[in-house]
Amino acid sequence: MATRKRSWLKKLLVTGLALAIIGAGIYWYIATEKFGDTKGEKAAFEVNAIDFIREFRKDDSAANKKYRETIITVNGRVSELEAPDSSTVNVKFIDTTTGDYAIFAFQEQHLAEAKSLKTGDSVSIKGSCSGLLFSEVLGYYYIPFKRSTLNK
Amino acid sequence: MKKAILILALVITTVSLFAQKKITTSATISFDASTSYDNLPRATNKTGIGAIDTKTGSVAFEANVKNFTFANPTMQGHFNGEKWLNSDAHPNFTFKGNIADPSSVDFTKDGTYKTEVDGVIGIKGKEKNIKIPGTIVVNGGTLSVSANFSINVADFDITGVPIDAGKVSKQPKISVSAELK
Repeated sequence: MATRKRSWLKKLLVTGLALAIIGAGIYWYIATEKFGDTKGEKAAFEVNAIDFIREFRKDDSAANKKYRETIITVNGRVSELEAPDSSTVNVKFIDTTTGDYAIFAFQEQHLAEAKSLKTGDSVSIKGSCSGLLFSEVLGYYYIPFKRSTLNK
Repeated sequence: MKKAILILALVITTVSLFAQKKITTSATISFDASTSYDNLPRATNKTGIGAIDTKTGSVAFEANVKNFTFANPTMQGHFNGEKWLNSDAHPNFTFKGNIADPSSVDFTKDGTYKTEVDGVIGIKGKEKNIKIPGTIVVNGGTLSVSANFSINVADFDITGVPIDAGKVSKQPKISVSAELK
């Protein structure tokens, strides 16, 4: 009887330990997971910059549902470059008819290639779309992207 | 002739108005809510929008919640979720205020000016009055702005087990850095 009880207890301890190790492993995996390089990620859509901006203007609910939090490749001519400090280079495509714009913040490992761009360059940029917003400060709509890279 | 003078006056007025308001669409806004238990709750947004009116001293900033970038995907998801910042319902962090003492900054003269901005910060649909110390560097018409301050998450109904457990700071540090032209 005592032997059976000890055996049962041993199994319980071993199972508990195994679950604790698995749980710790899952926690460690989630805690240490990082976003990958966007260059290696497949884009869900490839669009022309001005058409893309106008698609949001036409129906922002549908466009947000379609594009928000997806990786998108956007092709167009650089309207503006903003590099306020050494760790930031943002590329903008601006729809000059409305002032609406898409703006791309680059991943750190791709800053150097973004810095080589000039206004007027034809480029293809891939990034994670955060959806359309209206800026009360500027009075325009804008579409910010994060974790961007040049698409080559 | 009269038409030409009128058009010229309009152009000059428009140009001077634009020169009066300095703008950026690439402000860097970071927050750090990490603790000794968890280093992950920190993120940066590099597409913040800012404007300073050099005539009136009004200051406005906004930052899209979804464009704050975390290193960790799970943290990014939680941050935007309904129980935390609920970014679908409240897409922007906002600040509107004024330079508290207009004489503390001479926008016409290059130099470094320590000042304070008095205004209202908006997070998750809640607004709170706040005074933020900052520095404005005037250089050839460009304003370089920097500010560091903290907020109380409880003031904006941001609560949760990770905060109670000490894994997310109750007073995250926020830093703003921007070049306005």
